[in-house]
Amino acid sequence: MTVRWVGILLGVAATTSSPGHASPTLPSRTSPPERPVSFLYDVMPTLSRAGCNQGSCHGNSEGRGGLKLSLRGDIPEADYLLFTRAGGGRRVDRSEPGRSLILLKGAALLAHGGGARFSTGSPEFRVIARWIAEGARFDPAVAPQLVRIEATPREQVVMAPVTRAQIRATALFSDGSRRDVTHLAFYNPGDPRVEVTPGGLVQARPGLDTAVLVRYAGEMASVRLTFVEKRTGYAWRPVPAANWVDDLQYARLRELRLLPSPLTTDVEFVRRAYLDTLGLLPTPDEARAFQTDPRPDRRARLIDALLERPEFDENWTLKWSDLLRLEERTLDPRGNLAYRDWIRVGFASRKPMDQFARELLTATGSTYLNPPANYYRRTRDPIELGETTAQIFLGSRLLCAKCHNHPTERWKQDDYYAIAALFARVDRKLDDRGRRDRFDKHERNGEEEISVAATGRVEHPRTGQAVAPRLPFALEPLAADTPDPRVRFAEWLTAPDNPFFARAMVNRIWQALFTRGLVDPVDDLRDSNPASNPKLLDALARDFARAGFDLRHTVRLLMNSRTYQLSAEPNGTNRDDERFFSRALPQRLPAETLLDAITQITEATDRAGRQPAHVRAALLPAVNKYRHPFLKLFGQPARESVCACERNDDTTLGQAFALISGDLLAGRLAQPDNRVGRLMRAGRSDTEIVQDFYLSAVAREPSSGERERALSYLAGKPDRRAALEDLLWALLNSKEFLLRR
Amino acid sequence: MKETHGVACPDFWRSRALSRREVLSVGVLGGVGLGLPALLAQEAAARAHAGARPRATAKSVILLYQWGGPSHLESFDMKPDGPEDSRGEFRPMASNVDGIQVCEHLPRMAKVMDRVSLVRSFTHKFRNHNPPGYYGLTGHAPPSDDQRLRDTPDLFPHYGAVVDHLAPAPKEIPTFVSMPAVIHDGSAVPGQHGSFLGKRHDPLLILQDPNSSDFRLPELSLPGGVTATRLQDRRALLSDLDREAGLMERLGAARGLDVHHQRAFAMLSSPKLREAFDLSREPEGTRDGYGRTMFGQCTLLARRLVEAGVRLVTVYYCRPSGGFIWDTHKDNFPELKSTLLPTTDRTLPTLLLDLEQRGLLNDTLVIWTGEFGRTPKINKDAGRDHWPECYTALFAGGGMKRGFVYGASDSAGAYPTENPVRPDNLAGTLYRAVGLDPATHVYDLQKRPIAIGGDPIHELFA
Repeated sequence: MTVRWVGILLGVAATTSSPGHASPTLPSRTSPPERPVSFLYDVMPTLSRAGCNQGSCHGNSEGRGGLKLSLRGDIPEADYLLFTRAGGGRRVDRSEPGRSLILLKGAALLAHGGGARFSTGSPEFRVIARWIAEGARFDPAVAPQLVRIEATPREQVVMAPVTRAQIRATALFSDGSRRDVTHLAFYNPGDPRVEVTPGGLVQARPGLDTAVLVRYAGEMASVRLTFVEKRTGYAWRPVPAANWVDDLQYARLRELRLLPSPLTTDVEFVRRAYLDTLGLLPTPDEARAFQTDPRPDRRARLIDALLERPEFDENWTLKWSDLLRLEERTLDPRGNLAYRDWIRVGFASRKPMDQFARELLTATGSTYLNPPANYYRRTRDPIELGETTAQIFLGSRLLCAKCHNHPTERWKQDDYYAIAALFARVDRKLDDRGRRDRFDKHERNGEEEISVAATGRVEHPRTGQAVAPRLPFALEPLAADTPDPRVRFAEWLTAPDNPFFARAMVNRIWQALFTRGLVDPVDDLRDSNPASNPKLLDALARDFARAGFDLRHTVRLLMNSRTYQLSAEPNGTNRDDERFFSRALPQRLPAETLLDAITQITEATDRAGRQPAHVRAALLPAVNKYRHPFLKLFGQPARESVCACERNDDTTLGQAFALISGDLLAGRLAQPDNRVGRLMRAGRSDTEIVQDFYLSAVAREPSSGERERALSYLAGKPDRRAALEDLLWALLNSKEFLLRR
Repeated sequence: MKETHGVACPDFWRSRALSRREVLSVGVLGGVGLGLPALLAQEAAARAHAGARPRATAKSVILLYQWGGPSHLESFDMKPDGPEDSRGEFRPMASNVDGIQVCEHLPRMAKVMDRVSLVRSFTHKFRNHNPPGYYGLTGHAPPSDDQRLRDTPDLFPHYGAVVDHLAPAPKEIPTFVSMPAVIHDGSAVPGQHGSFLGKRHDPLLILQDPNSSDFRLPELSLPGGVTATRLQDRRALLSDLDREAGLMERLGAARGLDVHHQRAFAMLSSPKLREAFDLSREPEGTRDGYGRTMFGQCTLLARRLVEAGVRLVTVYYCRPSGGFIWDTHKDNFPELKSTLLPTTDRTLPTLLLDLEQRGLLNDTLVIWTGEFGRTPKINKDAGRDHWPECYTALFAGGGMKRGFVYGASDSAGAYPTENPVRPDNLAGTLYRAVGLDPATHVYDLQKRPIAIGGDPIHELFA
């Protein structure tokens, strides 16, 4: 989009306006405006659209060229003063509007770092000029206020060959009047490949799915547009639905003209199911047992069995240890272990997730004796607690609202601090056992007592005033004598009808099973970042709440769906689909799983590694103490950030070297008493060993071609042991091994 | 990184100030689910669209990073007439450029000052090692002066990672190499890797001492018992396995893994790169010339890597563990005189002359800097403490002026008196030299567009 839209813009007259309301739209060719220009509803939106107050220009926190406006016009009152009072009165010259800097700079008639934002004679120029000529007044207090805006269509699937959609924006005022502000609103598509004209005409290539955020005078609305390829000859082929998850998914896929991939094979399924539930590969025996099970419901039985395994609890403990940032330096080794065990016992005892959240958020007492109290040890600052809590439990990233109203969400700066204020009274008393590193202010050793003090203060950075704690989106702050605001927050959060909690949780569960969330990134739920299937997300959230926030309930439901059991193989319609779950999304094994798989397959541990040899990587309590280079290389997070993105699933050159020539794998392959040695000593034939290798690494028997090639490779090498190592090396480097698919 | 197109602050990239190139690089960050080939294709497209780039004055950069904070007052900004309590023991000596003096313990350096530019007016406010250590490696001010600044993914990547993102070297050559350690002070200094640009932009990290007789690069060496032939066998086996499984034709993720595997194989079998790492191919005289120290041999290796096409090499002058070496709180003068200055005087002039002799100096930007300078006032332990308010960095080759001094400090060397500059400007200068507009945006985790560097120090360019 270019901002030089002079000439593209065709004026549109106001649809309606009430007599008392000063609300002309942009000057139109057909109906010249007659009413006075409004600062709030004409001038400010015009400046926003011209980009004047965006973050890269005068909206920057440091301003630009000596003029600092509120970001995107968040604070029009302040901007008004800047225009009319500050700057020596040259910005707005009421006596000679044409000499106002706001016009001269905006149209680059005077040197302007931002170039020409509009031309002389353009509707923008004229509306600002007229406002100045009319006295450059702020809107009278009695004028109707903007209540909200509406944008249509709310949701639309656009089918090729059509590749455009027109957005209409309507402003609703306090006197009941409505006004078409399509040509005054500002449009932000979520996907940068989508183009939106200043007139709200959206254009995109088929295959793109985006929200477009529509902003006008501080209010916003969002529109969901999905551009679909025509796929001539597309016809939905009935596919069996295993449960209602599939019904909702199929409806969405039909709408998008996608066909689901076929069902996975049993071979793929057993490996996927083990990896997703336990973070482990099936052993050869387990793989064989499943693949030879003749019972038609063997998949459902396997799922049930896996959910009972202790490794399921451990796998979810790892996920939550990342999320809650369990780290020995801040929690101290004892607290860290206690916290970890508390999480694990929670999963093992099937603690409902709402209770889990409540226990964390309302914890008091000793970090040793009541481990969830570590939630308040790990994060200490109320501001950071507000942010972290929102990201974990609401799935909302509030950081933007720290400095300005969130650009794309309803979170206002005031909300940010009101949420922080909920945690202002958390008090801590450390039985300080000193630091091993006296300069590391993050290091804390000793038991810490968490309590709620009588007072505590969070200041609003703009006003310097104490902010009263308030529940998100509540109109009134909590009463000053509320015993513990965190309890009120936890009650609000885990109420069955809370719009955030259940959705945030099921989205995380979905991600654990489907590689990415229905909303992605998994902790960024907002109107302008919609779920790939909103109805499904809502239904799953309701179901989760109804089922008592039971993790296993939802995991079982999802894994039994055909949607989960789809193959990763693309068909003619879904080769490019990485968003709508019409096929499985393959992913590199995560760090701990990969290392544990290598351990399991080679039957060797590295003596050099600093972790206790017998402990599975997934169970290491201290991610930084035993800094394992292999785990770090493959993306194990340092647990510094609450962002799920800290677990890095990049594939890198260093990883390729580690697998091809790295010490760890080479050492384990060479160990005399490893799997290779064991099988040789047991007198296994080449055929048996090849079979065992395949089953252990990729959970299947080799094909006859594979078997023959492997056998002929072994036969052709004088050193049998070395040749077997080569074969196992190749399997451990194969895409089939490295991917969960 | 696990991110999609965020919408935070999107009006930045909707503004006309941003080019198509930058919009495309948003797509690069949005690489979840995209198979790596798609990602690489996007990055290639992003580069192809990188319209008006400044003309590059350097093909490669050697960053000699002096960890711990070298004393500007005992190296390139001598103050013989400074206040009594800060003057120090060493005398200045004339160099081969009129008006430029260097420390008497840098006699070889004195003979090559006609090849370098000094900037004597670097300044910032971060007094603990890690925050300015990060600042100097990225050109981005740290969020706080926390002595143990945590290395979180919202901090900025190293220059080399940015170059790898925007202007990488060819396939069989790494873009970005760092050695011989990960520098730290209690915790690792942030800014030594790809950070939010992704692990794929991390440096090839050499954690061995090239000065030791058994120096070998694990990445480019085969494990014991694995010969080149055996590696070929394994590679053939692997490609059979992959072909049989057939995943590569069907799954982007499989192709993504393969891109790196193939690149690693290419490097393992690239004589050019293996030879570059083989210091035994250097005449003994040259090896002696650089100094038989870890820093000296790393610097020699850096030259060999630049010759092979590596775009950015960082050599940390630090302890073998990555601890600081220049942190002379005690016994400043004997430390400098016995080790630090002689090592510098052995290695740095040799590098400049060697590059020049090979015709590489014009294409190679050499930057010598630490994270800060040292207090003018000498403390009770005859040492100097941390002093970020004023310090000197040295630039040579790669389009820089010769025999030039930019900026100046006051009589005590305490504050800049003209043309103060910050690490932001060092970053801008580096990027400008390699042909990247410092105003080019990359996107952080919050999807905020951030310019890769500050304004270049234009005066340094010849």
